[in-house]
Order: sequence, then C-alpha cells, then structure tokens
Amino acid sequence: MSPTRITSLFSVGALALASLVSPARAEETVKVGVLHSLSGTMAISETSLRDVLLFTFDEINAKGGVLGKKIEPVVVDGASNWPLFAEKAKQLLEQDKVAVTFGCWTSVSRKSVLPVYEKNNGLLFYPVQYEGEEESKNVAYTAEAVNQQATPAVDYLLAQGVKKFYLLGSDYVYPQTTNLVLLEYLLSKGVPIENIGGGFRKDASGKIISAGKYTPFGHTDYQQIVAEIKQFSAGGGAAVVSTLNGDTNVPFFKEYAASGLTAESCPVVSFSISEDEFRGLPADKLVGQLGCWTYFQTIKSPANKKFVTDFQAWLGKSTVPGIVKDGRVTCSPMVLSYDGVYLWKACVEKAGSFDVDKVREAWKSGVSFDGPGGKVTTQPNMHLTKNVFIGETKADGQFKILKSFDNVYGEPWLKGKFTK
Amino acid sequence: MRKTFIIIAALLAGFVAVYAEAPQAIIARAAVAKSEKAQGEILTELMGNADESILPLLDAWRKDKLFLFEAPGKPTMVVLLEGTKDSQGTQSAVDIISGKPAGVRLAADDLNAASHSANLRRIMKAVLDLTDLSSANPAKKLGAIAAIGQGQQSEKLPALEKRLAIETDPQAIKALREALALVRLKSPDPAVKLAALKELESLQSLASTDFVKAIIKDATAVKDEALLAAARSALQAVERHRTVVDFGGTMFRSLSLGSILIIVALGLAITFGLMGVINMAHGEMIAIGAYTTYVVQNIFANGLALSPFGFSVSLPGLHATGWWRESYFLFALPLSFLVAAGAGILLERGVIRFLYRRPLESLLATWGVSLLLQQLLRLTFGANNVQVGSPAYLSGNWIVGDILLGWNRVFVIGFATLIVVGVWLVLTRTSVGLLIRSVTQNRQMAACMGVRTERVNMLTFALGSGLAGLAGAFLSQIGNVGPSLGQSYVVDSFMVVVVGGVGDLVGTVISGLGIGSFDQFTQQYSPTVAGALANVPFVGGALQNLAQDSAVFGKILVLCVIILFLQWRPSGLFAARSRSLD
Repeated sequence: MSPTRITSLFSVGALALASLVSPARAEETVKVGVLHSLSGTMAISETSLRDVLLFTFDEINAKGGVLGKKIEPVVVDGASNWPLFAEKAKQLLEQDKVAVTFGCWTSVSRKSVLPVYEKNNGLLFYPVQYEGEEESKNVAYTAEAVNQQATPAVDYLLAQGVKKFYLLGSDYVYPQTTNLVLLEYLLSKGVPIENIGGGFRKDASGKIISAGKYTPFGHTDYQQIVAEIKQFSAGGGAAVVSTLNGDTNVPFFKEYAASGLTAESCPVVSFSISEDEFRGLPADKLVGQLGCWTYFQTIKSPANKKFVTDFQAWLGKSTVPGIVKDGRVTCSPMVLSYDGVYLWKACVEKAGSFDVDKVREAWKSGVSFDGPGGKVTTQPNMHLTKNVFIGETKADGQFKILKSFDNVYGEPWLKGKFTK
Repeated sequence: MRKTFIIIAALLAGFVAVYAEAPQAIIARAAVAKSEKAQGEILTELMGNADESILPLLDAWRKDKLFLFEAPGKPTMVVLLEGTKDSQGTQSAVDIISGKPAGVRLAADDLNAASHSANLRRIMKAVLDLTDLSSANPAKKLGAIAAIGQGQQSEKLPALEKRLAIETDPQAIKALREALALVRLKSPDPAVKLAALKELESLQSLASTDFVKAIIKDATAVKDEALLAAARSALQAVERHRTVVDFGGTMFRSLSLGSILIIVALGLAITFGLMGVINMAHGEMIAIGAYTTYVVQNIFANGLALSPFGFSVSLPGLHATGWWRESYFLFALPLSFLVAAGAGILLERGVIRFLYRRPLESLLATWGVSLLLQQLLRLTFGANNVQVGSPAYLSGNWIVGDILLGWNRVFVIGFATLIVVGVWLVLTRTSVGLLIRSVTQNRQMAACMGVRTERVNMLTFALGSGLAGLAGAFLSQIGNVGPSLGQSYVVDSFMVVVVGGVGDLVGTVISGLGIGSFDQFTQQYSPTVAGALANVPFVGGALQNLAQDSAVFGKILVLCVIILFLQWRPSGLFAARSRSLD
C-alpha cells in the first residue's frame, strides 16, 4: 500500500469520525447516569434494567428529548461489588455531572451509594422492591414498598382462608426486615404467633429481632426445611411466604415438589420471582404459586401492549454489545425503571429545570404518569402511589392476574406501625 | 288461599328447578356469574350433585379452556372449543349445557376464558373430592380424604363412612379413620368428641395437632375437664410420634446428604486421594456431567441450539414422548461419565502429567483450568442457569410411617451404594485396579515391574473425572445447573476427602456419611437446644439466635468440628502410607 493511499484512508476515516461526532456536539444533551451491575452475580437481573433504560431514553429522544435536550446515557458497571457502586456513583456525580441516576438493585448497593448522593445532592431513581425503613431526599423510590407487595399478598392469602404462615427467606436485609414487618402485620390481623412458622430470634430482653427461616445465598439442601413445612401444613390452611432470592429457588422448589406439596395444599407466595427470574427457573415446577408485583406482563391494556411490543422491537434492532435478544420478557422492576424515567421527565418539565432541588419539589407536588402497569403518582415522601397485582404463575413463566389493588400509597415506615 | 297456592307453586318450581338442573348447567351459570363469591356459591351447589361427566368441564375451566362466547343480543354462552384449528385458528364451539355444537367456529385468542382463583379452585376441588374418594389414583384419593377431614364438615360424614366400609387399601383406611375423627371433633355431642380424640390418639395423627390444640383451648375456656384430659393425652401421643418421625426423617436425610457428598467426593478421592493431584478443576468435571445431562435431555426433546464463540451449532431432537422421553436420564448417566472421563483424559495429558510430584503447581494449574472451563461453559450455554427436568420416576415420594422418602433421595442413596461398590470392585478385583493400586503405592517400583505408569495415570484420572461427571448428572436432579455449579461442591469434596483420610475409599464413605449426618442432625435439633445455649456465659444470646438459623449453624458447626478433628488426626480417619504421598 502506497503512503498516499494510507494518508487518503486516514483522511476518509477522520472525516467519517468527524461526521459521526459532530451532530452529537451540535445538539444539546443532558447526561443521565445508569448504575447497574453488568457483571457478577447480579448481572442476570440488572442487565435487563440497563436494557429497558436505554430503550426508554431512545423512545424519549425520538420524541424530542427532555426540555429540548437529548438524553445522553452514561452507563457504568457496579459489577455486583457494593463498595464499587459507591465509587461509580461518585464518578457519575463529580466527573460526569449527571442530572439524575437510574440504578441499584440490591438494598446493600443502595445503602452503599446513599451517602454519596446525599453529600453531592444528587438524585437516584431506585426501581426494585425493598424493605422500607428509609426515606432520603436524594432517592426517588419508584420501588414497591413493603405495603405495596408483602402486606397485600398476605391480605390476599388471609381472604383465601389461609391461617398459618411459614416465613422463609435468603439471609440479608430485605427478607429480614420484610418478615419482621409481616410478623407485626399478621399479629395485628389476629393470626396467633404459634401459627407463624420458621422460628424467632430474640434479644436479651425477649423482644423478637428476627422472624422466619433463613438460608445463605447459594444454599442447596432444603430437605429439612421442606420436611418442616410439610409438618407445618399437615393440618391444612397453610402458606409459605418466600423471600428466597435468585437460584436458591430451584433446589427449594424441586424439594417442595418431591415432597408432594402442591399449590393447592400449601401455596408459596414469592416476592423475588418475577417474569425475568423465570428465565432461569423451572416454570413448570412453580405453576399455581403466587407472586405480587405492581406490574405483570400479562396486564391487558393498550399502554402495556405498546410497551411490550416496542421494547421487543427495540431489542431486535439494538446494537448494544452483548445484549440478549431471545426469550426476553418484561417485569415489574423493568417497568418501574421505565416509569421512573418518564416521571423524572415530567418533574423536569414541571420544574422547567434539571436542578435536583427543583425536580424534587416537582416530585413532592405530585406528578402522574400512565405507565404499562397503570397510573403511578409521586408522593411527598419520595415514594409512589401505584396499583398492586396478585398473580399466579403459569407453565410459560407468565402470571395470571387474580386480584388487583388500585392506587396503593407507598409507605416506607412500617416497623411498629401495626403493633397496638 | 290463591296467594298461598302461588307461593307453594313458586317454591315447588324453584325446588324442581334446582334439582332438575343438570350439573353442566350449574357450571355454565357459575362461569358467567359476576363475582368470584357468586361463582363459589353456585359451584357449591354441585356438591353431592356431581357425577363423572363434570370432570372434563372443571378440568377445562382450571386450564383456561372453558370460554365465554358473547354473541350480540344473546345471553353469554359457555363453550368448549373442539376439533382441529383451521387457518384462522378457529375451532368448532360446543355448548357445554347441551353438549352439542353451537354451530359457530371461534378462535381461542378472541375469547375470554372463564376466570378462576385459588379459592374457586378449592371449591372445585371440594366438588371433585367427593368424586375423588373413589378415584383409582391412590395419591388423589388420599388427598381427597385429607381435604374432607380438614374441612370438618359434618355433611360429608356419610360419604366417608360409606367409603370406609368398602376400602381395602390400609393407607386409605388410616386416612379415612383420621378424617372421620377430625370431622367428628366438631360434633356437638361430647361422647362423639371424646371417641374422636381417642381415635386420633390411637392413630397418632400428625395432621390433627392444630385441631386438638384448638379443642384444648376451648376446653380450658369452658373448664370441661374430661375433654381436656382426653385432648391432652391425644396431643401427647401425637407429639411422641412426632419425635419418632423427626428422628427417622433426620436419619433418612442424613443418609441422602451423605450419599450426595460421597458421590461428589468419590472422584476426588481417586484423583486427589490415590494419585495425589490437587485437582481444583474437580468441580468443573461435575459441571460437565450436569451439562451433559442437560444436552441429552434436550436431544430427547426438541433439540438444542448452541452458539459457542459465535458459531452456531444446532443439535437435532428426537422429539420423544412419554416414557421414552423420561428415560433420557438413564442414557445421560453413562454419557456424563464418558464425557467427563474424556475431559479428564485431556486434562491429564495436556496439563497434569507434567506436574506429578509438584503439588503446588498442579493446584495453580488446575485452578486456572477450572476458570477456563467455567468460561467455556458460560460461552457455550450462556451465563444463566439451564433447566434440567426431573423425570416422573424421580419426582414422587413414599410415606412410610409418616416419614417422607423422596424418590430422588432414595435413588441417590441406592446409586451411591452402587458406585461405591462398583469402584471398590474395580480397584480390588480387576487387573486395571491392581495396576492402579500398584502405581499409586509406588510408582518407581511399578514401572520397574513393567507397568506402563503413564497409561495407568491417565486411566486413573479418567476414572476419577468420570465419577465426578456422574455426580453432576445427579446434582442436576436436586439443584441448579449453571457455569459455577462446580464451585459450590469443590470445597465440600475436599472436605470429605481430607477428613476421610487421603488414599482410602472407606474413609471417604465414612466421612461423607458422618458429615452429612452431623449437618442434618444439627439442622434438626439445634433449635431445640437453642434454649439451653442461652445459659452459656457472654455469647449465650448470640449462640441461641444462631442455633435458630439452623441451616447456617449446621454448616458453621461442621467446619468447626472438622478443624478440631484435623488437629487431632491431621491425616484424616484412615491414613494411608504410600510413597507417592511422601
């Protein structure tokens, strides 16, 4: 190749690059952070949220952006490493100066970034069901609070004639706190304490500090626990309230099925299994078990139909490296991420500014968005009013909706609320 | 007079209407009812009025195949769709009341299926229970009997009594007696109540605990001494029985966990124990076995499309059905052995043969291989867990004296016995075994005698890896199959082998069973001893709470005990002396 040809190639390349870069420069953009784990144990769940966020940004940009500015996503990888989450958050806020961040899945990652957002007065949109007992002015909790998932599910079971509840969960902050709230709630509903299974731990003064049975992440031997559930449910009218996380559900449900328990004799309501998790679970083993979320893919509404088809179409032509295109579904955390972006847009437009304090004022004044799961409205306590659905799992990994509760007010402070 | 006549006539008409209404018509009425409550009430009318003909209808309802057809200007018709689908996806609609074609063709996608909830299905079940009492399927029959007992509805007593008179199956007779006694607990007659409690006492019925406790509460409130004494004595009998069941169940679970540990560790007992190779890739050999099972399963079903490194490979499926499809597991067992053994040969030839007698290097090298293999699995099968279904013959259970014996667990125990005996026979009764033993005991001497030690090494390593593959096939039946499957078992495997004593299979068996039992017994009994732990000075409270978390506590205690044990016997239970380990 002659030197002249190389030079000409270079110049063509430079021209091409310039033409790629210049339109982005010409238009004004607003930087928005995406902080999820794209590697490590949580990647399976969190990558879906990144995907739906990028889809939402594209959807908004195609319609002219926010306040006339296109959204420019800054995607960083928390790598399922909680201290790293804090570092990445710092980078987003101090270097990239993002207007808002959408991110975090586990409660421990949220707790890890919280001081960073409070120090820099940033704004984090948090989309995954959590244990409550927290209310930061720097976090917009689009997530389900305990009274938007756990207590409605228990209400449903009580109405179905369930008298005994076995609490089972993975050993970390969300199941522990949720089960403590549930214990108080069940007692306030007149369920006697001997009808709550799984055991209790008490402090020196005899106060219960933890209720239910807990297993570590990656636990595989559920023989003894299932035998205990079998005895617990022998007299009928029993149900399991499960906050087991991720793939520990597989050995649990395999053991459950082998012991002859069924959804009719002792249903399991799981708070951590959504459509997206089903992609890695044996759905045929879970038929008839219950779930409670603020969205199911099977919701029959034009808004949801449009959301599902648009997302699938976007996936089909997406060029994001390594994105999974086959067998994708939508689930509640994804929709709450989607709703979050639109609520932020609405707040920004109401405030007429990207300034965090002004956006927060707009949020507190009450802004609504008609999302795929129905209308969601912001509340002064930084949470959301939303619809709650109880569903039953089907063999194809989708949920059949059994009951819905409309416009449930998100209430983060529940500990001690139900005790007389 | 005239008025009275009209009322009587109307009542009669209503009476006749209810009784003449065919069960099909009741179902149709329930399907279109507005609220779930009304649906439930209408379905309740079916009780005692049901015959076999409603089974397919209720079944269709539960499976979302009972459709509501709303023609303009007409009442909603409840239809089933039958026959083959045509190009528009429509099928012939059959009116369920008349059982005759409605003369229209409809598509299932355009129609709403009759709704149902868990509560409604429970009512359907109650209706079906009465027909199920005479079911030929024993599990169904037992379920129906138990449901009636728990319902405690006295109007169902005659049905139970009738069945008891003709029942021959001893298990069903026991269930019927239990159900009868439970229903009679609600009787207003104190004598019947006392008799029912006596019956429950003699049956040692675990299911009656809550009901007897309720009686004790009531009797304490009204100070009925006779009833209280009877109920307490029944409860004591049940609790005594429960301790026996708990103990028996724990024994069984110990055996099953022990068997899993043995199966998982047996391969390592050979590669590490006999050959002295610290094989960190042992876990990945297990994972290879599990993935082989997954592939075989899919070949028996609809085939499998894989995309390793961007290439797309599609394996054709056999589209097998029924028993033939379920038998995939029996084919997967030998295949998982062979595939893992093959991988073992590659590993031995490629890496390990250069590293004999250099344990530290072999540890690092095999660890590297383990990471490599994990990534390879991830690239080929994806990062998500894959689904391996349990064949029907591995997903049932037996109940012997209230102790639950899962078939998969029984199978694991049987299989562990089989392969331990098999490996023992290979090592002690075959010429290959003789060569393996001679090389592992003294390589130089064996070589001097003309043994081709290189080849024996390869075979031994292949045997060890193959056994790990078999373990993987098993683990696919009880847990997750994912790229990091091996990691969760490699620690357990080393633990078993080290405790058992490097170089002896008997040690592996005993330590596997020992660790399994220790874990299960701690899980079962630590909550009971938690109260006593509170008295330990300083750490009592923490220990007590830890003991409540028995699943975690078991693991911690096992590790502590193993550490102490190894202080006492650093070379494990059975210390073998051989040159290769010096």
